[in-house]
Amino acid sequence: MSAGISVRLVEGPVNGDVVDAPRGAGAALVFEGRVRPNEGGRLLEALGYEAYSPMTERQLEQLAAAVLEEHGLIGLHVDHSVGRVPIGAMSFRLVVHSAHRKSGLAAMDAFIDRMKRDVALWKVPVYADVSASHGVGKGAAGGG
Amino acid sequence: MTRETRTTVRMEVLLFGPQAALAKVRALSIEVVPGETTCADALRELGEACEFLRDSLPASRLAVNHALVDADVVLRGDEALALIGMVGGG
Repeated sequence: MSAGISVRLVEGPVNGDVVDAPRGAGAALVFEGRVRPNEGGRLLEALGYEAYSPMTERQLEQLAAAVLEEHGLIGLHVDHSVGRVPIGAMSFRLVVHSAHRKSGLAAMDAFIDRMKRDVALWKVPVYADVSASHGVGKGAAGGG
Repeated sequence: MTRETRTTVRMEVLLFGPQAALAKVRALSIEVVPGETTCADALRELGEACEFLRDSLPASRLAVNHALVDADVVLRGDEALALIGMVGGG
């Protein structure tokens, strides 16, 4: 993996570790995706996240490297949850370091769109009104 | 008259997330002819094995040995298979 890239799958909620901005970074952008409290009018208790290791990590690393190069970034750091994440907690954190704001913001958007479309990560809602979760797929209440 | 015999093997396909919830299992077994069955064939087999997956299969792909592959890739019969569909991280 490149020096300016890190990818971590974290069991449970992601914490908010500070990532030091490297020299030359005029912009340090942080996106935190959190679990919303409801979905389609139903109250959630949590989201369950699944990954397929090591394919998921490899896909995230490849995507990070591609976005880093395409947008001329200085650094890109990804933390994503696996397992149960209660409502309000962070399930995804993306830190982008770039020389200028515009390239960093565009990179952040591009990374998240492509991650949601292509990377082997799944979320299954755990509803507050039933003990068992039901697969719903796209549209589940992740903050990303 | 000769009669051709085709060797078949059963392969396990891992399921995740909403598709595992739809199928109510974490893996499905399909029949494969080594050197002949393609990934497209395997996806069709999955639809036969579990009707609840059928609607989601057109937007799904197979991962073979932890990498996404094209539909025309032919299976050897000893690979690790996973159904990759209905993804949605974040």
